[in-house]
Amino acid sequence: MIKLENISFDHCIKCTVCTIYCPVAQATHLFPGPKQSGPDAERLRIKNPELVDASLKYCTNCKRCEIACPSDVKIAEIIQNAKWKYVKVHWFRPRDFFMSRTDLVGGLATIFSGLTNFIINLKVMKVLMHLFLNIPYSRKFPAYQRGTFTGLYKKKFMQSQKVYEKRAVFYHGCFVNYNNHSLGEDLIKVMNALGYGVDLVDEKCCGVPLIANGYIEKAKKNAQYNIDSLGKTGDAVIVSTSSSCSFALMHEYPSFLELDNSSYIDRLDYITKFIYDEFTAGNIPQMKAVGIRAAYHSPCHLERMGGVIYTLGVLKMVPGLDLVVLNSECCGIAGTYGFKKENYEISQGVGQNLFRLIEKAEPEFVVTDCETCTMQIEMNTKYKVLHPVTLIAMALEEKNKGKK
Amino acid sequence: MIYDCVIIGGGLAGLTCGIRCAEEGLRTVVISGGMNSLHFSSGSIDLAGFTENGSVVKKPFEHIKNNAAKKKDHPYTKVGIPAIRKSLDYFKEKVSDEGITLNHNSDFNHFHVTAIGAVKPTYLSQESVFSSRGKDIIKSGAKIAILNFKGFRDYYPEQTAANLKEHPLFKNSELMLGDISLPYYLHTEKNLHEFRSTDIARIFETERYLPRIADEIKRAAGDADAVSLPAFIGINNYREIRGKLEAMTGKFIYEIPTLPPSILGLRIDHAVKNSFFKHGGEYIAGKKIESSVIKKGIVESIITGSRGTSSEIKAKYYVLASGSFFSGGLQSGVSSISEPVFDLKVKGDSKRSKWYSWNFFDKKSHPFLSYGVETDSSFNPSTQDGKTVKNLFCAGSVLAGYNPVKEGCGGGVAISTGYKCAERIIREIKK
Amino acid sequence: MNRIETDVIIIGGGATGAGTARDLSMRGVRCVLIEKNDIASGTTGRNHGLLHSGARYAVKDHESAHECMRENKTLRKIAWHCIEDTGGLFVTLPEDDPGYHRLLLEGCRYAGIPAKEISIRKALQLEPNLNPGILSAMTVPDGTIDPFRLTASNMLDAKERGAIILTHTRVSAILKEGSKVSGVSCITKNGDAIEVMAPVIINAAGVWGQEVCAMAEIKLPMFPSKGSMLIIDYRINGVVVNRCRPPADGDIIVPGDTVSLIGTTSKEIPYDKIDDYTIDDDEIDILLSDGEKLIPNVKNTRALRAYCGVRPLVAVSGEAEGRNISRGIVLIDHKNRDGLDGFITISGGKLMTYRLMAEKTADLACKKLGVKKKCKTHKVPLPGSESRFSSGRTVKRFSGIPDSVVGSTFYRHGQRLRNIMTGEKKNYRLICECEMVTEGEIEYAIKKLDVKDLVDLRRRTRIGMGPCQGELCAYRGAGLFHEYGAATPEGSVELLHDFLEERWKGIRPVLWGDGLRESEFTYWIYQGLFGLSHVNNKKKKKG
Ligand SMILES: Cc1cc2nc3c(=O)[nH]c(=O)nc-3n(C[C@H](O)[C@H](O)[C@H](O)COP(=O)(O)OP(=O)(O)OC[C@H]3O[C@@H](n4cnc5c(N)ncnc54)[C@H](O)[C@@H]3O)c2cc1C
Ligand SMILES: Cc1cc2nc3c(=O)[nH]c(=O)nc-3n(C[C@H](O)[C@H](O)[C@H](O)COP(=O)(O)OP(=O)(O)OC[C@H]3O[C@@H](n4cnc5c(N)ncnc54)[C@H](O)[C@@H]3O)c2cc1C
Ligand code: SF4
Ligand code: SF4
Repeated sequence: MIKLENISFDHCIKCTVCTIYCPVAQATHLFPGPKQSGPDAERLRIKNPELVDASLKYCTNCKRCEIACPSDVKIAEIIQNAKWKYVKVHWFRPRDFFMSRTDLVGGLATIFSGLTNFIINLKVMKVLMHLFLNIPYSRKFPAYQRGTFTGLYKKKFMQSQKVYEKRAVFYHGCFVNYNNHSLGEDLIKVMNALGYGVDLVDEKCCGVPLIANGYIEKAKKNAQYNIDSLGKTGDAVIVSTSSSCSFALMHEYPSFLELDNSSYIDRLDYITKFIYDEFTAGNIPQMKAVGIRAAYHSPCHLERMGGVIYTLGVLKMVPGLDLVVLNSECCGIAGTYGFKKENYEISQGVGQNLFRLIEKAEPEFVVTDCETCTMQIEMNTKYKVLHPVTLIAMALEEKNKGKK
Repeated sequence: MIYDCVIIGGGLAGLTCGIRCAEEGLRTVVISGGMNSLHFSSGSIDLAGFTENGSVVKKPFEHIKNNAAKKKDHPYTKVGIPAIRKSLDYFKEKVSDEGITLNHNSDFNHFHVTAIGAVKPTYLSQESVFSSRGKDIIKSGAKIAILNFKGFRDYYPEQTAANLKEHPLFKNSELMLGDISLPYYLHTEKNLHEFRSTDIARIFETERYLPRIADEIKRAAGDADAVSLPAFIGINNYREIRGKLEAMTGKFIYEIPTLPPSILGLRIDHAVKNSFFKHGGEYIAGKKIESSVIKKGIVESIITGSRGTSSEIKAKYYVLASGSFFSGGLQSGVSSISEPVFDLKVKGDSKRSKWYSWNFFDKKSHPFLSYGVETDSSFNPSTQDGKTVKNLFCAGSVLAGYNPVKEGCGGGVAISTGYKCAERIIREIKK
Repeated sequence: MNRIETDVIIIGGGATGAGTARDLSMRGVRCVLIEKNDIASGTTGRNHGLLHSGARYAVKDHESAHECMRENKTLRKIAWHCIEDTGGLFVTLPEDDPGYHRLLLEGCRYAGIPAKEISIRKALQLEPNLNPGILSAMTVPDGTIDPFRLTASNMLDAKERGAIILTHTRVSAILKEGSKVSGVSCITKNGDAIEVMAPVIINAAGVWGQEVCAMAEIKLPMFPSKGSMLIIDYRINGVVVNRCRPPADGDIIVPGDTVSLIGTTSKEIPYDKIDDYTIDDDEIDILLSDGEKLIPNVKNTRALRAYCGVRPLVAVSGEAEGRNISRGIVLIDHKNRDGLDGFITISGGKLMTYRLMAEKTADLACKKLGVKKKCKTHKVPLPGSESRFSSGRTVKRFSGIPDSVVGSTFYRHGQRLRNIMTGEKKNYRLICECEMVTEGEIEYAIKKLDVKDLVDLRRRTRIGMGPCQGELCAYRGAGLFHEYGAATPEGSVELLHDFLEERWKGIRPVLWGDGLRESEFTYWIYQGLFGLSHVNNKKKKKG
């Protein structure tokens, strides 16, 4: 029989609001929407697990439905739970396996980065991936950088960080580690300007891609590893530049994976919240005008965390930034979701509204907090995408570097 | 960081208050746990529709004025007629800036037609529901085609027609029925018959379908002068779409609200939110305020989230516009009524059997609908120990003292009390 | 005036009446079933739907226990689509007499009920939501039975075999010729009079049987006993949970389709109160607090409705003062008792012994008519239960339609699913989103299952029985009534009104928390947005 842990579906008053805001239900008719897939069907699944619908797989876990729900129903959580609780995962799915092991694959790829990038964007390889791994042909892959960010840090930054008294632990996540070292470097620059020295600790992939692909046990293992590791960092503040990693570290661990993260939770912030607090407390380094017109896209998970206002608050304080805030729309990538063949069209469909808005705004750059949103936007529009931290780093004058 | 004003609840009341505060340059944030009740409403703003014994009110302001002496605790009495008028004008202006025109019938109520063909009084409506042209068309006894989107499960035009033809207002009108269908139908996997109003609205918003829709309307409506559709002709650029459709079909187009989600309400929701952003307001969606810290009759902070992920928000002034029971502004237990964020003093019987009437459609309606937070005449509530909370104001359907359904005054109370609270805060801060 | 000639008249469309109609039709006897309201609208639709293993009677009433045991096995064969083999548990709470556990085990052994003592750990595995503080546990072969489905498919089978079913038709008088009955006169809902003539009349009117007897100038005193139950939002338990103590208030939680129900209180009421279904706040309090002791999660769960049923206890021989009350099956040949030939009363018993009751009654009726055919109802499956296959596999056959939708329909109609899941796409659209009722199912019910209004429709399909209690589907359902020609447009609005009033009766007693939020929302939609009580309808002068 079924143990009833998540009973938030019981609060649903069938108001239909969530159905308005689900980007997937808008883009495809294959997905019956959050209400039917979540609270409605949950009662039936409790009655008989055989009544589970295959269409659950279309949910991207963007959580826009949860933001909209006036009854506090954890709709997306119910759907994610149902995916692995009722849909049995017997067989080995090579594509999902590799895709969700971002640290394993990343680790290998960075060793042979040149080769990897060459191979995964090779035509033959793309056809093969399309056929065997169910990864869509037209999907561009993030480039892997040579070496890891941790390696770079040891070589280039570890020494210089010692001079700062205030300490911050940087949870860099897979993306910075394997694909985007410069964001890590920017972060160090910004933290130093605020007077913090940056430490790294042992970490594993936060688990978001594992959860999305139904590898819950593995996700739990990773999560526990991170909890142990971050828990041992005394009273240092912890920051992350990835909105999705932050979301997992803060919310998914306790509520979805049911792990106790109280050892660090009070010290961890998504980076813009941290910067916002510092800025508003008066710790504002000198910045020069950047002279950029940018369009801001708010990633779904940051919205769910209620973190968008902090990013906006920080960006508003960057001098010379002409910011257009785009209407809140989902970009459609949803982590590894958009990388799968069966989801490709839906993923693109979901993103259309956003791409249109970006084109209409005619910015020089797009700014967003999330790495997979970045990929999706760069693939579908002609714009380069910057992280808010990068923007601040751009605004920091050389002389601020030494502030202690 | 301290805000000038934090508003809990992003509904009609909270956002009206927010727009006004932000416009005055106050640092204003609206925090809303979920979407508001505009998503279900008719999209018309009721001011005062029915008297105590259920008869229709013709002149709402006059009615409010006459009632003021009898109903000291009614929010309208506390706001006062001049401020109610001002707030509605203000509201009209703000949503009009965002592309939604709201019409009224000078000082009189006008009518809107419901899905089952009832005719209800209201005060402010969108053009597709009330306009002088529409009024003339109905008066002239024109032929009206009541149409539906074929297979739409949330609307049944036969019911509209059957009950409408009994109504004196429509006694001269010739009513006919019809269906429109769309080519789009054929190209999809989903069971299109499960479309909700919002799905259809999105079809209307797709420019290239419009000519085809217009053809369908012309075919289905024949020689009728006016066409009514369940409300779904676009959300964001509805004015444009309706204009085009009227031009293409040569017919007056009327909209009837039906089962949620309500397109007419969504339009207002989008308009007030956009206006709020435009005036520089900040908005946090999907965050529920769980608790608060009150010391010596002053709110020190409010708290969102649970342990660990909780955060504190501070402001000089707070507004509670968290709606009634179904929005979560009020809570009921097996035998208690409470206000969950500040634990304010509420009006409500402790005996459950007193909360409701025996029949669902009882003439007296249900007592629980008029339960809510009790405030003094300036909308300051008090805590359980009777102490007034000076920097907290309450607005909208969280308030006690009125039954929005029975009196037909939900929108009016939300707007006028939201506005009044804003005025109070602005005055205090400017001091 | 309408006049029908037949062999047997059955008064009462509960499980007993419908079962008797089926039994007689299978023996080739013509019959007319007359029900004043809807089928299963009496006590049949107002109980917990427990498919007794017999264990609840094992200590005190061996005869009942044995009957239950036998019928339990039979129904699993002929009516499997109305039954869920959930299994049952008896658990002892710390405050209960620990000795009763032994007593019950012995009683079960004696009655031949396979009760088995299990460890507490095992019990918690079977039913993880159980109170972990229990002292002992045993399993019994309890199950659940859906009274609406059961009665509907009995009726459907009877109809398919030629019986006539008149619902919403009340018997108002019993016609006699000398010492023999000759027929009945009835009045339909619209006030039309019908006369049905037959040499044999079966009074299967349950607790209303006293009234029916009175029409024949016969005294048959009944002592009504009222029981209230509480429905909660979802299936909080998968196994029937009984409290191991002598039967008392609030001692059982039964899962039933998508919900669970807590039963029951028990109160003797005067006979003139049998149609008063008021439930007091203190009854609710008892059910909640006792339910919570068995399954602690009860207190966090939304209560959907409360309702009650009235059980007839019959004073068989003569005067009320005699108090010679039977709790078992009561079959009376009034020729022997009162000298009125052709008149039979069947009463007492249980929902799950309906078939046995029907068999005994039909035997007696056949004897009177001189029909020799034997009963076959224990062998021939009911419509929907024709041959057995699992829901899971059936579901997979309908590609493109969500498994949850196909599965829910299968639950309700068994193999008659084939008659529902056909035709154009429109038939597959969901009308009731909580219980996943499709338009096809509604069309089938309106056309095939004697549905006259939305309340009847609910009994056949579960429309409006989920958490929203009709908030979205009531309007859609009303619209379809008109679409399928079963009501005028104005009439369909009235049906909508009446349906919401009927839902309110059950919601009212449990109006708090999420239930109150839901009701406020529903009220806003139907009164605020639709103005239901403002429609210009002279006929509607209710309340
Ligand atoms: C079906 C329906 C039809 C209606 N039709 C009409 C009509 O035709 N005409 C008319 O004038 N009026 C109508 N109304 C009424 C009108 O919409 C409401 O009276 C009015 O909108 C109330 O506004 P509000 O701002 O007080 O509350 P709401 O709109 O209910 O907003 C309250 C908000 O506060 C949020 N909230 C609650 N608690 C918290 C918390 N702890 N932390 C953060 N956020 C919180 C909620 O999520 C919600 O978004 C209708 C209402 C309904 C439901
Ligand atoms: C609280 C409670 C819990 C129970 N739990 C269980 C259980 O878990 N398991 C179980 O097996 N049994 C249970 N029972 C017993 C079971 O419900 C009844 O024994 C059974 O339903 C009786 O069915 P019936 O057809 O004899 O009577 P009814 O269902 O009452 O049928 C009589 C019908 O006759 C109709 N009628 C009356 N007068 C007239 C008239 N003048 N003209 C036309 N029609 C008329 C009525 O409308 C009614 O529909 C329970 C009973 C109660 C009260
Ligand atoms: S999480 Fe996103 S995709 Fe999934 S149901 Fe909710 S809104 Fe839709
Ligand atoms: S928004 Fe929440 S309450 Fe409304 S239908 Fe969706 S889950 Fe239910």
